[in-house]
Amino acid sequence: MNCYEHTFITKQDLSNSQAENLVSKYEGIIKANSGKVLKTEEWGLRNLSHSIAHNKKGFYFHIKFEGIGKTIEELEKAENIDESLIRYLTVRVKKHDLEKNYFEKKIYKNEVSNYEKK
Amino acid sequence: MKRSKKIKKKTRGSRYSKLSLFQKPDVKFNRPCPLSGKDAPVIDYKNIKLLRKYISESGRILPSRVTSVSLKKQKEVSKSIKRARLLALI
Repeated sequence: MNCYEHTFITKQDLSNSQAENLVSKYEGIIKANSGKVLKTEEWGLRNLSHSIAHNKKGFYFHIKFEGIGKTIEELEKAENIDESLIRYLTVRVKKHDLEKNYFEKKIYKNEVSNYEKK
Repeated sequence: MKRSKKIKKKTRGSRYSKLSLFQKPDVKFNRPCPLSGKDAPVIDYKNIKLLRKYISESGRILPSRVTSVSLKKQKEVSKSIKRARLLALI
C-alpha cells in the first residue's frame, strides 16, 4: 500500500449538500477499490490565482489515503467525466502528515467576513 | 565604500525585485542554504507561504544562484511550485 494525497477543485456554484455528496462519492470509490481513507480536509472557497476555464473561484477538497495503482486509476477515471470539477491532483508521499493543515478554517472565516463588508 | 552606501538605499523592500536575469546582483549571496540543515522548513506544495519566497513578482521560479538554495532542495522547490501552480494556489 502506498500513501497518496489527492486534491480536487470544484466549481463555485455548488451547494453544501452537493459538495458533501461529491466528497462521499469519491471516498466511496477509494474504499471500493482496496483503498483506505485516512483524513479529509475541506479548504473552503478560495480565489484561484488564475482563471481556469472561466472560473475565478473554487471549493478545495483534500483527501489523504492509502491505496494501490488501481485505486487512482478508477478515481481519476470518474473525475475525468465529472463536469462539476475544475481540476484534480494526486501526489504520492512517503509518509502522511495528519496533524498539520496549511489551510485552516481561519482563512475561510476571513473570506466570509470580507464578503459581508462588501 | 561610497558606492555601497548608495546601493543599500536603493534596494529597500524586496531584495530580488529589481534583479534582471542578465544583471549581476549587487548584494552578495554567499549564504548557506536556508532549506537544509536542522529545523529547516518542510517543502510542500501546500506550504504557499514558503514557496512565495522563491518566486519572482511575476511568478517565475527564482534561480538558486539568487536564493542560494542547494541543488537537491531547489529540485524539490521547483517541483512543488509547479504543483501549486496546477492547483492555482500561487
